[in-house]
Amino acid sequence: MGQLRSISEFRALYDRLNIVRNRKIPTIIISAGTCGQASGANDLIRIAKREILSRGLANKINLRITGCHGFCEMEPSVLIEPHGIFYPEVGLEDMVRVVDAVSRDAVLEDLPFKDPQTGQPVIKQSDIPFYKKQLRLILSRNEKVDPIRIYNYIENSGYQPLIGILDNGERDWVLSEVKESGLRGRGGAGFPTGLKWEMLAKQNGNAGKYLVCNADEGDPGAYMDRSVLEGNPHSIIEGMLIGAYGTGATEGVIYVRNEYPLAIKHLIIALRQARELGLLGENILGTDFSFDIKIVKGAGAFVCGEETALMRSVEGRVGEPRQRPPYPVEKGINGRPTAINNVETWANIPVIFDMGAEDFAKIGTKNNSGTKIFSLVGKVKYTGLVEVPMGTTIETIVNDIGGGPSGNARIKAVQTGGPSGGCIPSSMFNLPIDYDSLTKVGSIMGSGGMIVMDDNTCMLDIAKYYMNFLKDESCGKCFTCRKGTQRMHEILDDITSGKAGMAHIDLLAELAEVVKDTTMCGLGNTASNPVLSTLKYFRNEYERHIWDQRCDSFVCKEIVGAPCQSACPIGTEAWRYVAHIAHGEYEQAYKVIRETNPFPSVCARVCDHKCESRCKLGTIGMSPVAIRALKRFVTDTIDPMTYKPERMSSNGNGERPIAVIGSGPSGLTAAHYLSLKGYKVTVFESESIPGGMLTCGIPSYRLPRGILDKEIESLVDENVTVQCNTKLGRDITIDELFNQGYKSVFLAMGAHKSRKLNIEGEDIEGVYPAIQFLKDFNLRGEKIAKGRVGVIGGGDSAVDAARVALRQPAVESVTILYRRTRAEMPALATEVDAAIDEGIKLETLVTPLKIRSRKGKLSGVDCLRNKLGEMDASGRRNPVPIPGSEFTAEFDTLVVTIGDVPDIEFIEGMGIEVTEKGTVKYDSETLATSRAGVFAGGDVVTGPNTVVRAIAAGKKAAAMIDRFLHGQELKQPSRAGIPGHYLPPSGLSDEELNEIRRVVPSTVDMRYRTSSFVEVEQTLSQEEAAREARRCLRCDLEFTQPAEDKAEKIGGKVA
Amino acid sequence: MKTDDIAGIVEKHKDDRGGLISILEAVQAKYSYLPENALKLVSEKTGRPLVDIYGVATFYRHFSLKPRGKHLLSCCLGTACHVRNAPSISKEIAKQLGVQPGETTPDKEFTFETVNCLGACALGPIVVVDGHYFSNVRATKVKEILEAARLGLDKGLAKDDSRVFPLDVSCPRCNHSLMDETHYIDGYPSIRITVSFGAMHGWLRLSSLYGRSPATHEHLIPKDTILNFFCPHCHAELNGVSPCSECGAAMVPMMVRGGGIVQICSRRGCKGHVLDLTGVNI
Repeated sequence: MGQLRSISEFRALYDRLNIVRNRKIPTIIISAGTCGQASGANDLIRIAKREILSRGLANKINLRITGCHGFCEMEPSVLIEPHGIFYPEVGLEDMVRVVDAVSRDAVLEDLPFKDPQTGQPVIKQSDIPFYKKQLRLILSRNEKVDPIRIYNYIENSGYQPLIGILDNGERDWVLSEVKESGLRGRGGAGFPTGLKWEMLAKQNGNAGKYLVCNADEGDPGAYMDRSVLEGNPHSIIEGMLIGAYGTGATEGVIYVRNEYPLAIKHLIIALRQARELGLLGENILGTDFSFDIKIVKGAGAFVCGEETALMRSVEGRVGEPRQRPPYPVEKGINGRPTAINNVETWANIPVIFDMGAEDFAKIGTKNNSGTKIFSLVGKVKYTGLVEVPMGTTIETIVNDIGGGPSGNARIKAVQTGGPSGGCIPSSMFNLPIDYDSLTKVGSIMGSGGMIVMDDNTCMLDIAKYYMNFLKDESCGKCFTCRKGTQRMHEILDDITSGKAGMAHIDLLAELAEVVKDTTMCGLGNTASNPVLSTLKYFRNEYERHIWDQRCDSFVCKEIVGAPCQSACPIGTEAWRYVAHIAHGEYEQAYKVIRETNPFPSVCARVCDHKCESRCKLGTIGMSPVAIRALKRFVTDTIDPMTYKPERMSSNGNGERPIAVIGSGPSGLTAAHYLSLKGYKVTVFESESIPGGMLTCGIPSYRLPRGILDKEIESLVDENVTVQCNTKLGRDITIDELFNQGYKSVFLAMGAHKSRKLNIEGEDIEGVYPAIQFLKDFNLRGEKIAKGRVGVIGGGDSAVDAARVALRQPAVESVTILYRRTRAEMPALATEVDAAIDEGIKLETLVTPLKIRSRKGKLSGVDCLRNKLGEMDASGRRNPVPIPGSEFTAEFDTLVVTIGDVPDIEFIEGMGIEVTEKGTVKYDSETLATSRAGVFAGGDVVTGPNTVVRAIAAGKKAAAMIDRFLHGQELKQPSRAGIPGHYLPPSGLSDEELNEIRRVVPSTVDMRYRTSSFVEVEQTLSQEEAAREARRCLRCDLEFTQPAEDKAEKIGGKVA
Repeated sequence: MKTDDIAGIVEKHKDDRGGLISILEAVQAKYSYLPENALKLVSEKTGRPLVDIYGVATFYRHFSLKPRGKHLLSCCLGTACHVRNAPSISKEIAKQLGVQPGETTPDKEFTFETVNCLGACALGPIVVVDGHYFSNVRATKVKEILEAARLGLDKGLAKDDSRVFPLDVSCPRCNHSLMDETHYIDGYPSIRITVSFGAMHGWLRLSSLYGRSPATHEHLIPKDTILNFFCPHCHAELNGVSPCSECGAAMVPMMVRGGGIVQICSRRGCKGHVLDLTGVNI
C-alpha cells in the first residue's frame, strides 16, 4: 500500500477500485461483529471459504466479512448482494447450501426470515418488518464495507466528503454546514455539534487543540457505538478529519472501552491503513492539513464517559469529574482547547457532507434532525440495533420494528438512557422520541439504550439494579452522590426484601431529589432518575412490595420465597408437599395440602396451577414440575379423614350466625373457615344440590361426582347448614337475613348468566347459552345437543361444553369457533389438546355475524374470517376482519359462551352497589361491599374466574368477617409466605435432571372417552410420583437450609 | 519479575503524557495483574508518587492487584442481561467455582469477574471465558462452560472438523508450489518453507489444513521468536509489511491455488492468520 501524495492520486485510486468493483458478481456478506462472532459467524466464514475454494468459485463469488447488520436476534445472518437476500440464523450446513445457491443465482426457499403472523418467507432484507420501518443512514454502511479494508470504504465513496472539503472547502463552510444540519450530540445531552465546533474553532490553537471521540460506551444496554466502531471505523476517522479541518484541531483521541476488543482491533487496523495511505498524519494528501489520531483505552470506569472525567483519564489520572466552567473547549486535555463528541455523532459527519446539510436537516423533527440509533433489547421479540428518524414513537420501535413482546408476558415499560435515564410506561408509548420529549417525561436519550420490560420485570429491582451500579461507579468526589446512591440502594433493598414501611417511599423520594440537586457532574445529577421515574409511574409496585409483601414479577426473592408457593392464590406450600412425596411421606404431604385448601381433590383435577407456570424449572428452559398431578396422586392415595382441622373458637362466636349466599367453592370455603372459628353458618343455595360451578359447570369426566360430593360433605360439619333451593332475590332478601339474626352476610353466588353475542337470531331454537347447556346436563342429565354442534368461545366453559356435547348420543360433530388464534385461547392448553384429541374441530380467527334459521330452527352461522392486527391493552393482538371472507357454517345445535356475568339484577334494591360490568362493587382488600356487614367474593365480584381464586376469596372473607365481628381493623398488612420448614434435599443430580422428562399422566383410552363420562386423566403411579417429585429444584432450601449444612456444601465443592 | 521489563514498558510510553494507564495495562498484560514491586518500579521510573499510581490502579475496574487465574471468566451484568436473569447465572458460577465475583479459585484455575456491559445485549445473558463469548446462557449451562474452559477453548480444531480444509499454496514471488508431497502432516501434503532466526537457518513444515497448527522444524525454535521466512525455490524473503493483528509481528503471505492469499504470523506460537479470497491487487 503506497502513500498517496495528492488529491488527484486519491481520485485515481478511487477510479481503479471502481473498475474492479464494477464486475457484477454476487457477494456473500457475513455479519461478523461481536454478536455475530458470538453466534458462530466465524465458523460460517470458514465454511464459506472452504466451499468457495474447493468448488473453484473464487472468481464467481465475492465474500465480504462485515460488522454487524443490526438484527442481532437473527445472528449469525448472511446477506446476498445484489438482490438483498437475507438469511437469518444460518447453520454450518445451511452455509454450504447458501454458497451453492449463490453460485446458481438461486434462492433457498426454506431459509429466509418467516413472517411471524403469516408464516410466509420474506426473502429480501428490505421487506422484513424489522428493517422496513427503519432509516439506516449510518448502519446500512456497515453492510457495504469490510472494516479491515480501507479500499472497501473508499470504493463505497468513503473519504469523498473529506476530499471535497480538502479540495475547495472553506473552514467556515464546514462549520456552517454542521450548524445547518442541526446535528445534536448523540452522547445524551444533545448539545448542538456545530456550535461546539465553532467555539473550538475560535480558541487560540497555538499550543494545539484536541478532538476526542468518546467511545466509552459504559451505559449498560447500549452498544450502537461498538457496532459502528467495529463495522465502520473509517467513518469515525473521516468524521474526525472533517472536524479537525473545520476547527483547526491538531490531535485526535479515540477513548474506547477496554470491554470492546474487536472494536479496538479494527480501529488499530483502520488507523494504520489511513496513515499508510496518507490520510492521517502530516500533510494529508500533500496538502498543508495535518492531523493524527491515537487510541486511548478506558480501563473500566463508567464515570469516564463524563467529559471532564474522560479528559483526566486521557491524562493518565484518576477519572474524577471537575467543575465546569472552564468548559473543555476552553481548557481541556492538558489544558488545551478540546471538543468531545460521541461515536455516533462522528459517524453522522460524513453522512451530512455526503447528502448535504439541508437534506439532513429535513430528516426527523424540528430541533431534532437526523436519525438516532437505539439498541432495542430486553423482553422484545426482535432485539437489535434500530436506526429511525428522530421523532419516531416508542410504539413503532417496540411493536412494529421489535415485533412486540418476546414471550407471553405483557410489555410494561421501556427504559431509556441507562443509569441516568428513566422508565417510561407502556401507556405512554405514543411518545415521539427526541431529546426534549424524553427529558419532559423524566428520562433522557442517553446514548440510545432502550430496554424493554414486561410483567416479569420488577420495576423496583430495576431501580435497585441501577442504584447498585451507580453506587459502584460514583467516583466519590461529591458526598451526596457517593452516599446518596448507597442509601437509595439500601432503601430499595429493604423494600424489595420486605423490611420497609410505607414511610420509606417518602424518604426515598426526598433523598432522590437531594442527590439530583446537590451533585456536580452529569452522573450525580441524573442518578436519581431511575428512582424518580419508577416512583412516578410505578408507585403501585412500591406499595405492593411494602404493604402486601408481594412482587408480582416474581423477581424479589426475599419476598417471593418459593415461586410455587407465592404464585398460589391460597399460598399452598407446593415445594413442601412435593418434597414429602419425594421422601415417600404421603400423609404429611396430604396435611400440607389440606392445611391451606379445603378442596384438595377438586384442585388436584381442575386447578389452573399457577404454581407450575412460575416453577423455576420452567424459567430455566425445562418443563416445570407436574405439581397438580402430584397433588392428585396424594389426594387419591390418602384418606381425607386422616386430616383433622384445628378449631380455634373465640368467645361468643357461636352466638353470631353468618349467612353465606352460594355453595360454590368460595361460599363453602368461607363457611368452613368460619366454622373452625366457632361460628354457626347457613349456606343458601339456589339449585337443588350444593357445589355451585363445581357441580353445574365442570363436567364429571374432569371432576367425578363421587369425589366432589365427598369433599363437600367433609366441609359440612356441625356448625354448617346448607339450605338448597333458596335463591337470594327470589326466596330471601338481605334485610330478612339481618332480621333473622344473621350478623354478617357473604355474597358468593358466582356468575351464572351467559352474556349474549348481540347478533341476529340468538333466540332461535337450537341456540343455548353454555351455562344453561351445562346445567341441563350436569344437574338434570338432559342431553339437548344433536347433529352438528357449534360452540362459540375460547374459554374453559367453551371447551367443557364442546366435550360434553361430544359425549351426547345424538351428536355427529363438534366445532369450536374462536375469534383469535389457538395461542390466545384462555382455556387451559391441556384441555384444548384433549378436545382436539377427542375429535373436536377448532376453527380459529372467526367472528360470528348472524345466526341463520330454517323453518324456525337453527341452520347455521354466518361468519367472517379475521387476521391478527395491533396489540390491545391485554397485550394480545386484536382480531381484524378480512373483508370478503364471509362464509356460512352449518349447525343443528349452537352453544354460546363468550363470558358469564352474575345474575344479580335484584341486588341494587338490597342496598348493594354494582359495577358497570355487572359485578358486585367491593373493596378488593377487605371484600367489603357498599352495605355494612355484607361482604362479597369469587366470581360475583370478579366475573368468571378460577376455582382456586374462589377458594382464596372464601378464606379471605372468613378472616374479614371475623375481624368485622370483633370490631378489628379490616385492612392489615400482609406477611410474605416464606418457606420455613426444613426438609432434607431430595433433588436429582444435574445429569439425571437433564434425562428425566416431566411426567405425563396417562389417560383413558379414546374408545371409552367419547362415549362415557369416565374420568379422562388417571392418577400417577407411586414410581412416577416419586420420580417427578425429585425433579423439584427445591427453591425452599435457600431459606430453610441450616447454616452449617450450607457451609459444608460449598466447602465440599471446592475440595 | 525483571526490572528491565518494567523499564522497557515505561520507556515505550515515555513521550505520552497520559501514559500511566497504558503502562499499567502493559504491566497487567505481562503479569496478568499488577504486582506491588512492579508498581514501585513504575513509580521510580516515571517519577510519579506511588500513591498516585496506587490511586489509578484501584480506581479503574480493569486493574487487579491480586494474581489472576489461568482462565478469566466474565459474567455480564448489564441491564439487558439483568432483565434476562443474569444474576442467577452469576450466582450459579459463584456456586460452581466456590468463589465470589472478583476472586480467584484457590487452585488458580479461574478468576471470576462480573462486568457492567459487554455490548452484546441482544444475546444476553452473556458469559465470556478467555475471550470466547457464550450467549443466551442458562444456569444449567454453567457447568458445561466451565468444563469446556478447563479443557481449553483456544485449542485448535480437530483435523476431521468440517471447518478445517486443505489449502494448496505457492510462493507469491516465483509462484512455485510450496507443497511437499513427500511429507504428510494431518494426512495431507505439508507446506515446506525455509526459515531463519538469529544464526539458525533451516526448514519448517506446516500442516496445510487451514485451522490446524501442527508444524515440524529442523531446529528447536523458542516460543515467541519472530522468524524470517524464505521461499525454498527462489529464496526470496516472504515476510510482508502488514503486521499481525494479534501480536504486531510481520505477516507472511502465500498464494492460494483457487484464488486469494493466506497470511500467517511470523511469530512462533502466535495464531494470527488471514485467508483472503478476494485479494484485490491494486
